[in-house]
Formats: sequence, C-alpha cells, structure tokens
Amino acid sequence: MTIYSLYIFDRHCACVYYQDWHRTVRPKMAVEGGMLPAVYAPVYPQANPDTMYGNRNTFSAPSSGIVVAVNDDVPHTPLPTQTQSPIAPIPPPPTSSLSFDEEAKLVYGVVLSLRNMIRKLSGKDEQFVNYQTSTYKLHLYETTSGYKFVILSDPAADSLRFVLRQIYSGPFLEYVVRNPLVEMNSRERGIDNEYFRMSTDRLVRGLTVFQ
Amino acid sequence: MTIFGLWVINKAGGLVYERSFADGLPHLTSNEYLVLAGTLHGIHAITSRLSPTGSSSGAHVISGETFKMNILLTATGTKFVLLTSLVEPTADSVLQKVYEIYADAVMKNPFHTPEMPIRTEGFDTRIGALLG
Repeated sequence: MTIYSLYIFDRHCACVYYQDWHRTVRPKMAVEGGMLPAVYAPVYPQANPDTMYGNRNTFSAPSSGIVVAVNDDVPHTPLPTQTQSPIAPIPPPPTSSLSFDEEAKLVYGVVLSLRNMIRKLSGKDEQFVNYQTSTYKLHLYETTSGYKFVILSDPAADSLRFVLRQIYSGPFLEYVVRNPLVEMNSRERGIDNEYFRMSTDRLVRGLTVFQ
Repeated sequence: MTIFGLWVINKAGGLVYERSFADGLPHLTSNEYLVLAGTLHGIHAITSRLSPTGSSSGAHVISGETFKMNILLTATGTKFVLLTSLVEPTADSVLQKVYEIYADAVMKNPFHTPEMPIRTEGFDTRIGALLG
C-alpha cells in the first residue's frame, strides 16, 4: 500500500501542482512551454539549460572559473561558470517514456473523458470516483470551483477521496487560497509554494495507506 | 448486486454488442453507446501508459458513485464491459463466463463475420439465461 503521485488541475485544464512519493518511474523533463512555472521545479524546463550549458561548454576551464571560449551564440546566463556547482548531477533513475507535460495532459484527458462518460451513463450529475489497473488506482476529487485533485495510489487502496478532500480543505485553502502571493487562475503560474508542499507532504505521509 | 448492462467492444473500438438488463441507468440511443464505447477504448489504452511503476494493464474497474464498469480485455483485443452496482464481487467471474459464451456461440458460428456486430440468436439467449 502506498501513494505514488498527486496532480492538481485548475479549471483551465492546466496542471498547477504536482508532487510524488514512491514513484519508481521518474517523470521526464517537460518540453519548453509545455508546463507552467511553479508546478514542480525538478521537471520545469527552465532549470535545465543552465546545467546543459555547463556540460556542453567544453572550452571553459571549470577550476579556474574563466571562460576561454563559448561555443554558443547566445549565452543563457551571464556567468556560465557559476552554474557548475559542486553538486554533481544525480544519475537519472528510469524515466517515463512521456515528458511531464504530456503525462499531465493524458491524466487530465482521461479524468475528463471518464467524468463525462460516467455523467452520460448515469443520466444525472454523478461524479467519476476512481479507476483501477493492475499496478495503480487513480482517484479524483473535483471542487465546486473546478479544481481537480487527482491522486495515484496502490491498486489495493480503498477510495482516497477523503484524502483529496482533506488536502483541499486543509493545505490548499490555507496556503493557496488564503495566500496573497499565489496567483490563482492566472493561467501563467502554478500554485507551488514551500508551505503547501510541506504540509501536503506531511498530510500524505501521515496516512495509514502511505508506507 | 445488480447488473445493468453488457457491452462487447471489438479490437478496433467498435461496439459490436450492447444489452441492458436491470433498470437504474437511463437508456441511451445506440449512437451514444457507440461513442461511449469508442471513448472507453481510447481511455483504456491511455491508462496503461500512465503507470507510475513499470508496465501496467489498462483499467479493470472504473467506478462512479452508484455504479462501476468492469472491463475484461482478452488476448485478442476484444473487450467485455459489465456495468454493475458498486458492490458486485462476482463481476470478474461473470465476465469470464460471458467470454466463454462468446467463444462458443459467436466465434464458432460460421455465419458470423469477425469484428462485426453480433447478430447470433444463441449468444443472446445464453446471455439472457446468465444475466437476465
């Protein structure tokens, strides 16, 4: 029993927040322009060119800190040598075949199609709750304001709707809705901030299904 | 413990058989069922790609608030979908039996064209005996 990942989508279909826990297949870096900033920093493409630039720039001497020659016409940062931090790049664990933005779009597409399908089949305003495959179970909670909370868990888990509701009524309201620094509905930024990430993390880690 | 309906979807995503049993879900037009079956076919393929841990099958069970869809994907790509109430522990075995009946009454029928709508009386009566 475990919990894999959490996605939050706003009413404009954009992924505004992502967090993962026991996920073995890592999400791949998003393509430029594919995702909003402040969603999930590790896959945001802006962070990438700096390190890539540092690796590609074979003419600069890393120890001296002096750039001898630059093989790129437009430097991405004014001081490329500074980006060669002492922290070595972490060897990549197995990554998904999908880039993060594509994956988020697929999740949203599946959730939306299933929601419409359930609504059509039931003939009333019935909600889609979850679906289950051999390796995971996807749960959906939709708020009145159109935010969709999606969590991926172990297939044996019971309905985790109450958890999604807790994330909404606890951390989300406290650190996103009541946070004047978070621009909701901006279509330009996600809702990621330190407090929200930390308190969601604490909430999920405290669950009995999380082991 | 109610079975609302049964769909058979061919490997191309076309609905080849649809039958409703108990009341509880509204009746839709055959065109609407065709669209839903096509959508389900696509979603089923996507769900297997979203796995956070290695390779996964497509969705087995899709739940709403009052009913669920149980999906059996056979090795040949045909999908059997059973619409039941939320508490239906026998859904998997029922689907296996439906698959058996399909193999006997449809696939062994020399007048049946593969991947085309099922118009076999024997299948209808045996499904009626199992689920009706």
